[in-house]
Amino acid sequence: MSGTLIIVLFAATLALTLWQFFKRGTGPVLFIKELRSFFLSPVAWVVLALVMLLNGFSFTSALTDLRAGDRTVTLAVYTFWSFPFWLAYFFIFPVITMRLFAEEQKLGTIETLLTAPVSTLQVLLSKYLAALTFYLVLWLPSMLNFLLFRINAPDSTAAIGSLQGSYTIIFLLGAFNIAIGCLASALTKNQLVAAMICFTFCLLHFLVGFVLQFVPVPEAFRGFADYISTHLHVRTFVDGLIDTRQIVYYISFAILLLTTTFHVLEFRKWKV
Amino acid sequence: MIQVSNLTKRYVGRTAVDQISFEVGQGEVVGFLGPNGAGKTTTIRILTGYLPASSGTASIAGFDVFRDSMEARRRIGYMPENVPLYEDMRVKEYLRFRAQLKGLRGRDVRKNVGEAMDLCGLTEMRSKMIGSLSKGYRQRVGLADALLHKPELLILDEPTNGLDPNQIRRVRELIKQLGLTHTILVSTHILSEVEMTCDRVIILDRGKVRACDTPANLVGRMRTARTISLELQAEAPLAIDKIKTLPGVKKVVKESIDENGWTRLTVRAESGRDVRESIALIAADNAWPLRELHAHKATLEDVFVEITQSEHSS
Ligand SMILES: Nc1ncnc2c1ncn2[C@@H]1O[C@H](COP(=O)(O)OP(=O)(O)O)[C@@H](O)[C@H]1O
Ligand SMILES: [Mg+2]
Repeated sequence: MSGTLIIVLFAATLALTLWQFFKRGTGPVLFIKELRSFFLSPVAWVVLALVMLLNGFSFTSALTDLRAGDRTVTLAVYTFWSFPFWLAYFFIFPVITMRLFAEEQKLGTIETLLTAPVSTLQVLLSKYLAALTFYLVLWLPSMLNFLLFRINAPDSTAAIGSLQGSYTIIFLLGAFNIAIGCLASALTKNQLVAAMICFTFCLLHFLVGFVLQFVPVPEAFRGFADYISTHLHVRTFVDGLIDTRQIVYYISFAILLLTTTFHVLEFRKWKV
Repeated sequence: MIQVSNLTKRYVGRTAVDQISFEVGQGEVVGFLGPNGAGKTTTIRILTGYLPASSGTASIAGFDVFRDSMEARRRIGYMPENVPLYEDMRVKEYLRFRAQLKGLRGRDVRKNVGEAMDLCGLTEMRSKMIGSLSKGYRQRVGLADALLHKPELLILDEPTNGLDPNQIRRVRELIKQLGLTHTILVSTHILSEVEMTCDRVIILDRGKVRACDTPANLVGRMRTARTISLELQAEAPLAIDKIKTLPGVKKVVKESIDENGWTRLTVRAESGRDVRESIALIAADNAWPLRELHAHKATLEDVFVEITQSEHSS
């Protein structure tokens, strides 16, 4: 009963937010501008190249091991739960989010932006969604791995569930960590500082979950440990198990972080 | 068009704007004058909805800038101090983006961007990266941006800051031209600019409105001349000594002497005293032929200095 209520409330809030975003078509105008500046910046292409390179490494090592007859590995695990993946994971978020607000605050364009008939919500969401879109584009080439594999081994049983799980967790991680990056970037006018804050928090979140997996924690605490362990989540999803608890965890934290960012941006409007 | 009453803005530890009230009527061009740190930018930021006031109210065309911020903002074309712009966009792209942000769509975007670029002389620069533009052109991009949606009210914060004299003149001409069709609030500390372009002047100093009148009235109020030029035929050192002893004279400077002994002097007098009569009398007493005695008219600069400095010393 209360579950239904929560879902209805959530849907209503989401609908209201989207309506605010699309009002007079301003949100999409901002979104396109943000997306455009992603694809026109050299940094973005370097990131894309690096992620592709790391995917390539994963692919090669998966093929090597598979050829050796190791039946316990899957291509999905190699792509999304391997050293190259975590390497990409840690540099992607700071690099794609550090610019978002820090640059506007440094140049002073935040003033021109927010004195146009534009709401803070529209500015925040457009930047967030643009970063998220770019992040998802980064993972498109990884699909090539699976496609190639499929072409070369047509009789292999395609693990559709595993792929669905993999891309769901990719999306969730993005939604969560990009919200951290937005907050970090809104807090400072220095892009480097924004990147450091974002990196630190991504790493902390990962490490806490990772460490809790291996230290003997009291049984009552086990559930909590599992609940916040990114490391474990990725593995669960990559194995094809889509766990709603994790969906709720990442999405609700993303919303919490975005709300905080909103208030940071509105801070100058507080009457002190 | 603009109504401000008892507006106060306190930053942590200091009051930047203190209980100011003023009005700007439809179609007026008003100069917002004041030394650095007077609170001009702060007031403007409140008007444009970027900062909230600590107390007091302000409205644009009847819309409260805090409660009806969106409606108020739609009516303002704002050019902030130092003209912040995205460095990595082309002029045309940037203006199109801004036009869309301000609610223009479809054909109107192209049309208004074209017109604004024409008006501001940006047409040749339309494909240039903003980051590569000179200060003068950046200023024009900022102005074109402010004009895009044909706002009723233009608010320009130090539009000539950092420009060379030719560029300043061009901006001044443009403001004059825009003044025919817009209400304008222009903040500046260049006085000649205000004298030439504005219907009315608001002088702000340390957060308070010190004067609010037409330039002519402000200057007229400073009735007494303070600088006097004269030319007489006399021994320069003697004449200077004698004039110096007159009550109210602060300083006498010798400008030039020609071969016939005509000496040009500049006399600075205390404000509130006209020393021309006593100079004429002393020349007559000493039988010095006097062929010029001219009091310079006060300028807005004198008014400005008087208003903002007398307050500081007291
Ligand atoms: N964000 C801020 N925080 C604290 N003090 C500020 C801030 N902005 C301006 N001030 C102070 O408020 C006063 C007025 O500044 P400002 O409005 O920029 O003056 P003006 O534009 O007339 O030069 C100055 O003394 C300035 O130091
Ligand atoms: Mg200023």
